[in-house]
Amino acid sequence: MSSLIFKSVSKYHNFAHLSGKDKVLASGFGVWKSLFSTQAAAELSTSDGITVDGIVASNWTILDESESDWKSHAAAIAQSIQVIKRRLQWKKLLVRLDLLSVQLNKPDLWDDPVHAGNISREHGSLMAKMKKVKALEQELLENIDMIKLAREEDDTELESEMLKALLQMRRNSNEKEQEALLSGEHDSCPCYIEVQAGAGGTESMDWAKMIMQMYKSWAQRHGYRVTVVDEMPGEIAGIKRATIKVDGEYAFGYAKAEVGSAQAGDGFTHVQINESDLRIERFRAGGAGGQHVNTTESAVRIVHIPTGITATCQNERSQHMNKDSAMAVLQSRLDQCEMARQAQINAQHTQSLTDIGWGNQIRSYVLHPYRMVKDLRTNYEVTNPDSVLEGEIDGFILSYLSTLLDKGEDCP
Amino acid sequence: MPSLTAIKPKIPIFLRQPTYSVTSSDLQKWHGWAKNLVSSVGSSFVESDNGPDSTLLCRELNWLLEDSLENRSSSSCFSFSACKYDTVDEIENVMLRISLDDLYQLWKQRIEDRRPFQYIVGCEHWRDLVLSVQEGVLIPRPETELIVDLVSDAVSNNEELGQGLWADLGTGSGAVAIGISKILRIYGRVIATDLSPDAVSVAMFNVQRYGLQHVIEVRRGSWFEPLKDVEGQLVGIVSNPPYIPSDNISGLQAEVGRHEPRLALDGGASGMDYLLHLCNGAAAMLKPGGFFAFETNGEKQCKFLVDYMQNQIAGSFSTKEVARQVLSAVQLNIVISMKSCTRTSIPGEEMSRIELSSSVSN
Repeated sequence: MSSLIFKSVSKYHNFAHLSGKDKVLASGFGVWKSLFSTQAAAELSTSDGITVDGIVASNWTILDESESDWKSHAAAIAQSIQVIKRRLQWKKLLVRLDLLSVQLNKPDLWDDPVHAGNISREHGSLMAKMKKVKALEQELLENIDMIKLAREEDDTELESEMLKALLQMRRNSNEKEQEALLSGEHDSCPCYIEVQAGAGGTESMDWAKMIMQMYKSWAQRHGYRVTVVDEMPGEIAGIKRATIKVDGEYAFGYAKAEVGSAQAGDGFTHVQINESDLRIERFRAGGAGGQHVNTTESAVRIVHIPTGITATCQNERSQHMNKDSAMAVLQSRLDQCEMARQAQINAQHTQSLTDIGWGNQIRSYVLHPYRMVKDLRTNYEVTNPDSVLEGEIDGFILSYLSTLLDKGEDCP
Repeated sequence: MPSLTAIKPKIPIFLRQPTYSVTSSDLQKWHGWAKNLVSSVGSSFVESDNGPDSTLLCRELNWLLEDSLENRSSSSCFSFSACKYDTVDEIENVMLRISLDDLYQLWKQRIEDRRPFQYIVGCEHWRDLVLSVQEGVLIPRPETELIVDLVSDAVSNNEELGQGLWADLGTGSGAVAIGISKILRIYGRVIATDLSPDAVSVAMFNVQRYGLQHVIEVRRGSWFEPLKDVEGQLVGIVSNPPYIPSDNISGLQAEVGRHEPRLALDGGASGMDYLLHLCNGAAAMLKPGGFFAFETNGEKQCKFLVDYMQNQIAGSFSTKEVARQVLSAVQLNIVISMKSCTRTSIPGEEMSRIELSSSVSN
């Protein structure tokens, strides 16, 4: 289980009453559509042999967007394409695609339908990513061809049209770079976010509540649907712990940055749960139940006996639904544990940012005497803690994801 | 006998048309007022009769809002009222399924009269069902969900049970009948009976809402009386009959004692008047090998009734007969054993079993 520890750090003042422990749980589930076609990834070029890599290598000067210079636009777009490729781990992606294609062509593939389904699903998803990049490259190179043609034929109308098209591509490329940050297999799935107060009594429960509020606001800003699955209030103020479910596009892709798990879910399958390993506790009022008591309290707690991991849900209006909901949380917790275990194994072999991701402090919040929130993994910082606590954490997330992925692979 | 259609069931709030337009600030005002009312309760209900605490009442308040708003998901904007980034500010008007006056009225009833939340919103979420309930009809309890689980287990091991005729005696809102009818295979049928005309009309409403008219027949009458035509033909009987001893009625939690129908709670001096009636009559109604499950007041009644069925009514429900009947009693009172046992076999009878639910208190 990962836990992120948020502490107030203050140089001059013992203002440590804002300390809390924040556990974030991000786990995905989802369904992918499959595509079956296979296609070789030949390098694209213009009619006179210019390639995207060639453009970058030529070091054309990149001017401001307002300058009507096609070379500048083209260079900016080509750079973006390289960033996107790096983020998609392009070389690995092509190798993996080849491997999957070989497997797809095996005549006995469908002897094991589950395995075959997984293979064709992954193949389809990687193909779609590859095609998107290829389409981008092709569009750029065709525009360059057209602009050259227009200049040769002195067609100013066509030339300005193509310039506009390049400018539009350049403007869209930022968004596409960002999209590429969220290209993990489970990134488009919904996720759970859990916050748990650490030692420190009421103050830390108060802090935990603020952190939970931060995630709720963050999710609302994205237009995600937020459901409180489990919430245990503190005795005096704040929360002991809370779990929310966040539904919406790329919810998991963003939230995973908050646990430092970039590889989460790559080729990952759910941990099997045996019914006999579970103890299901239905919370009831003390004393006689049944007809004696009318309560809307229908909380259910499930204990996974071998690991001691538990999940509680009391947000649904029936025990039956709370049990289903708690099972989903338990599943994601067990998956999370397994991911953490795998990440730890990987971290022993590779030196990466994820090394500090598990069970460590990821951000420090200073509210006094100066004001700052700093990500300890990326050194990204802002001087307005209020805006962060109101949910503006995308800056932290994106900077973490880009640091992680842009380091991941050398130039394609 | 009054006509069944004489009693018109009330429509739960969440099924009504959203015809009331209110400004979001007026609704927030109501929400603030309602929350204040809740915090004034504190733990006083818990202390007086083990009623709801303010945390639970807050949750109910959110559910009331959820049921009343046209757009369910926008209720979260209110629940997160501490949130500064409040999307509600952007919405001028919201559509409600009941008037703002009614909202004030209903929440006052919830707190001051202790009117059950389920009667306020007109429904209870039970298993994966949302059942209409109203005064005069017992609100189905979460413990009773277990009866459906037990039937589900039994049916999955025995094809014949899934295809036969079942009876739910004292069906109330129809909860158990609807729950098991969704488990039964294509030929399974259920007859649901109740003496109360309110219960019969609400059960029929719920059956129709789930489109189960061809599976469940609701009949009015006392216990086995309306089942004379199917004597000896049932493959299963389930029931949650009244089992609270008469003396205990006055001390019940206010939501139950002041508002729920005594007819569905009071089981006579020992609480076992109807349980004994059911045990006495069940064997004649069932086919050999039939299934019989009922809810009791707890371990004491449970043990007594098992012993009674084995020994006292041996004539009509012989020990050998019991062997072929699958007997399940659901233990409810967990005062004596908090983490009580899972399964006890009657000595020498491998087929019969008593299932005691293992429950753990908070």
